[in-house]
Amino acid sequence: MSATIIGTSPNRVGGIGRVTGSQQYVADLRLADVLEARLVTLDCARARIISIDASAALALPGVRLVMTAADLPQPVPRFGPQLEDRPVIAVGETKYHGDPVAIVAAETKDAADAAAALVRVEYEELPAVFTLAAALDPAAPLVQDPALRPGDRLASTNVLREHPIGWGDVDAAVADVVVEHTYTFPMVTHFAIEPHAYIAAPDGDGIAVWSTIQHPNWLQKVIAKVLGMPLAKVRVFAPDPGGGFGGKQHAKYEPLVALAAIRAGRPVRLVLSLEETFQAVRRASCEVRVRTGVNRDGALVFEDIAADYLIGAYADIADRVVGKGSYPAAGPYTVPNVRILARSVLSHTVPSTAFRGFGNPQVNWAVESNLDEAALAIGMDRLEIRLRNIAHRGDAFIPFDTPADGEWSQTVTRAAELIGWGSPLPPGRGRGIALGIKSGPTTGLSYSTVRLLGDGSVIVFAGTSDMGQGARTVFAQIAAQELGAPLDWVTVVMGDTAIVPYDQQTSASRSTVLMGNSVLMACRSIQAQLRTMAARLHAVDEALVGVDRGVVHLPDRDLSVIDVLKPGLGRLGGELTGNGEVRKDADPSHPLSGAPAFFEFNCTAIEAEVDRETGDVTIVRHVTVSDVGRALNPLQVRTQDEGAAIQGLGHTLMEHYIFDEVGRIRNLGAIDYRIPTSMDLPLDLVSETIENADGPGPYGSKGMSEGALLCVAAAVGAAVREAIRVPIRDLPLTPERVWRALQERETA
Amino acid sequence: MHTFAYVRPTTVAEAVAILDAGGRDARVLAGGTDLVIRLRDGSATPTTVIDLKRIADLRPGVREEGGRLTISATTVMTDVAADPLVRRHFPALAEAAAVVGSVQIRNRATLGGNVCNASPAADTATPLLVFDATVVAEGPGGTRRIAIDDFFVRSGVTTLQRGELVTAIELPIPAVATGSAHVRRTRRRGHDLASVTLSVRVDALGVTRFAYGSVGPRPVLAVDDTGVLADPAVPAEARSAILERMFADASPSPRSMRASPAYRLAMLRVLGARALRSAIEQLAAGSD
Amino acid sequence: MAETHRIEVTVNGLPRMLEVPPHHTLLDVLRDDLRLTGAKECCLVGECGACTVIVDGRTVDSCLVLAVEADGCEITTVEGLAQDGSLDPLQRAFLDEGAAQCGFCIPGQLMAAHALLAGNPHPTVAEIQEGLAGNLCRCGSYLQITDAVLATAAEGTRR
Repeated sequence: MSATIIGTSPNRVGGIGRVTGSQQYVADLRLADVLEARLVTLDCARARIISIDASAALALPGVRLVMTAADLPQPVPRFGPQLEDRPVIAVGETKYHGDPVAIVAAETKDAADAAAALVRVEYEELPAVFTLAAALDPAAPLVQDPALRPGDRLASTNVLREHPIGWGDVDAAVADVVVEHTYTFPMVTHFAIEPHAYIAAPDGDGIAVWSTIQHPNWLQKVIAKVLGMPLAKVRVFAPDPGGGFGGKQHAKYEPLVALAAIRAGRPVRLVLSLEETFQAVRRASCEVRVRTGVNRDGALVFEDIAADYLIGAYADIADRVVGKGSYPAAGPYTVPNVRILARSVLSHTVPSTAFRGFGNPQVNWAVESNLDEAALAIGMDRLEIRLRNIAHRGDAFIPFDTPADGEWSQTVTRAAELIGWGSPLPPGRGRGIALGIKSGPTTGLSYSTVRLLGDGSVIVFAGTSDMGQGARTVFAQIAAQELGAPLDWVTVVMGDTAIVPYDQQTSASRSTVLMGNSVLMACRSIQAQLRTMAARLHAVDEALVGVDRGVVHLPDRDLSVIDVLKPGLGRLGGELTGNGEVRKDADPSHPLSGAPAFFEFNCTAIEAEVDRETGDVTIVRHVTVSDVGRALNPLQVRTQDEGAAIQGLGHTLMEHYIFDEVGRIRNLGAIDYRIPTSMDLPLDLVSETIENADGPGPYGSKGMSEGALLCVAAAVGAAVREAIRVPIRDLPLTPERVWRALQERETA
Repeated sequence: MHTFAYVRPTTVAEAVAILDAGGRDARVLAGGTDLVIRLRDGSATPTTVIDLKRIADLRPGVREEGGRLTISATTVMTDVAADPLVRRHFPALAEAAAVVGSVQIRNRATLGGNVCNASPAADTATPLLVFDATVVAEGPGGTRRIAIDDFFVRSGVTTLQRGELVTAIELPIPAVATGSAHVRRTRRRGHDLASVTLSVRVDALGVTRFAYGSVGPRPVLAVDDTGVLADPAVPAEARSAILERMFADASPSPRSMRASPAYRLAMLRVLGARALRSAIEQLAAGSD
Repeated sequence: MAETHRIEVTVNGLPRMLEVPPHHTLLDVLRDDLRLTGAKECCLVGECGACTVIVDGRTVDSCLVLAVEADGCEITTVEGLAQDGSLDPLQRAFLDEGAAQCGFCIPGQLMAAHALLAGNPHPTVAEIQEGLAGNLCRCGSYLQITDAVLATAAEGTRR
């Protein structure tokens, strides 16, 4: 067996379950004796809770539990991946529309619904802030109790943190032309088709928790801490999520459901509605002021970027999003002087969290759009200015960081070719091109175990969550490749912290690289054992034995793995076990606490047509080219790339939360929060890869699941701008917004 | 969802009796694509839900008799859109039925339900207005035929009286050649609630009928019998004054999050011009 | 507790007699009573299509159909597509084209596609996109889903 399975696209591992409906997502699981839970929320954002009367609810038949902050250990436990600021349930005050004040649990969904409606909450609405301007007003009410941030000079403001980064001297730099504009990016939500769901069940002296979580091991730690249990008594099951996109990274209501289960002494299940999911996760909106200094020859002199991200009422991972997302804001260019100041600004809105692109699309929209303005100002082609300044392989484009780890100009050139850059355009059309770069994971820890069973079949234990990206398939491909098993002889076990070794998290497009390397290492350990075995069986020097792609090479002949394994294991059988550990420790001297394992690089080019009467934007052609190092599974790479592109079209063209004056989301739910359907696609969507096998992952791969989303907005915006000759600096580019821009130009 | 009594009458008389007895606490269920949402979100809390789908006299279908088409109230959008008689005589109605929601919605949503909800954005309301439809209602007092323009009051409110239910929509088959079109504005190309709906009908006698919705509390009908709009040879300036008069009753709400009044009013004019062109072309093609 | 109604339905070819309260939807009954969890719960307003099943030959959003309304109907869910353990050609095509990423929307997509092909064995790309627009896929596998429907249609021609 020497044929390679790497670089091929076998059917998805787990695909049969997905096309037969037998795949069990959390909401599909049935536990005996389970209670159905519902959250009780208020019809406003910020309110002082005066009293909660559960007596009517508790009097209903079948209602077993109504739990509020008063029923919990005091002080009420708080948790959060960055700052432990989120109470498991609202304490004294709600901080955003949807912040739960009580949880009810009952024998049936009907009883739980009825009970939730009967919990009487007396409350007083309080002044609140929902916008950057309001939150930054010196007189604004504080979202967070300053006591949560002792010694922090910002504690008495709504600025959670500032993230300054830069090099050179922007103030001293002199450029021929300076272009300055302000751009905004809307508040959008993940809208995974699977709403978040949780089950918790007392399990002897411990607890079992099922969640739609992306990071089961992280959740395990949160639950253990909240409940005061050792990790070994907290078992987290994480069935494959039905879409994550970052929204399912961190704990939300799992601690609450776990506490409810313990109090009830029975399993408790909470399946959020889509509306509740909208109130649980979103992307930070952002306002970005960009000053770009450029010389007449096209050389970038400086980028001066101030980005205010409106995060929610609790930090969640939002501040890390701000810091990490804004860090490469100057783009994949060699810019001698850069100053970036990003701020995470708290507000009485849904806590924002990780969302594909991780804070990057917001600044990319602004900085790439402003680069077009700079090109226009000096009369240079927009592709040319990019190629003029792009960092080449090995360039320290961020001076204190990993140098450019690809020849990115290849990607840009290919995208330009595919869009027909420079060829004549029909009237009413425009083109745009934009570059996206994102820092990959800066820390990581991925353990894996691989078992080569006595018959040559393989079990891979890997704690990654397969939420659609296809990690299961890629790990199976690696094991099949290295150990010579057919793909359908490989089982990948995930999503059970009692069985699967620790993995830090599934995020930042890391899993192919970090867990992939871990699985590869585990397989290589087994290969070493096979070498020893073969040397012993055939009485040859171990140094002369090689193992490659499931073939054991002896000096005089080749054997299959099974021909070594069976006699090697002997009469009792057994198995060979290999462990992998990939550790990327934090580097305290680095601004992000670690240099990225790789950069995700993408170039998106768009041809768009605008209906000048209605403002409708039609994406005639959408080209995305990503530098992926090597596509281990080209079909999965393509579907991730296209999926990211289409998701990017959502926030570019149609998605945004709309708030009312008291901070309620007006378009709460699928009727008025619009995402792209099959009829909203580009007329032509082209996804290509650049593959130089220059990544740090197995076989030269890089992470790639976010790249194609990063610069969609800037590329579309540029195409629209060329089509209508009017810049629009606010997203989404709804027909009405485009129409209005045209109207304003005509009246100006 | 709160619970209710579900009844499934087999005759119109039985349904009317239950509806009359229940008054405001009784709701009629046809396709359910609106009602079930409202039952779930609590904006409708009937004690009795009357399912019309097992009434023999209300079987879905379209029939032609006496120079008119009668569409049973329980006919679903999919079937309205596909019906050869509707497509031949009332193309704008077929077009409107074909853009209500997704396939799944069109397989359930009924013409009667769309009319009775009286949403200002109802897609079928505007073609029914330009085609001069009549709503047939059965009630305790017998049968009433209500001109569609007298049917709508405001969102969710019609001139139906207590105990009355809509059994059919009648459309007079035009005696002269006509062209018609239905257009709408949405926030995306995939199914969406419209921020402007507009239907137009022109006929060989030079009469132009516009109806537009989602720009006020109820859909509006406006008629031009000067012949100016229907005549493609008339210069644009001459038409615009008349068009302005046609659209004078539009009064979109500033509270809507789907589109601003300014955009809706501007789009009304854009859509009006486009639909008129299509209808005139259709008329010309039909009379060749 | 609400009065229940006895309904008789045929689900994936099997006759079923059920007692259902009037306010339970077909989706509730499929998932909770019959434990057919292929149809998914997402938006509950008929926008996402994750709960799509076929009732008497036509697709519906089962979240908007009261179970009692389905009395006497034939219902097909994703669990009814595979016959005798072998995948339906459409399921096979979804697998081969890589149409399922997270997979949560896929049962609904399959039912919508199944009904589309039953009524139109040779749809164009535009007809597929229109026919499946009521089924949201946030992973954005729309092109692969379209390819799978086209491949199934072509396969149907060859057979």
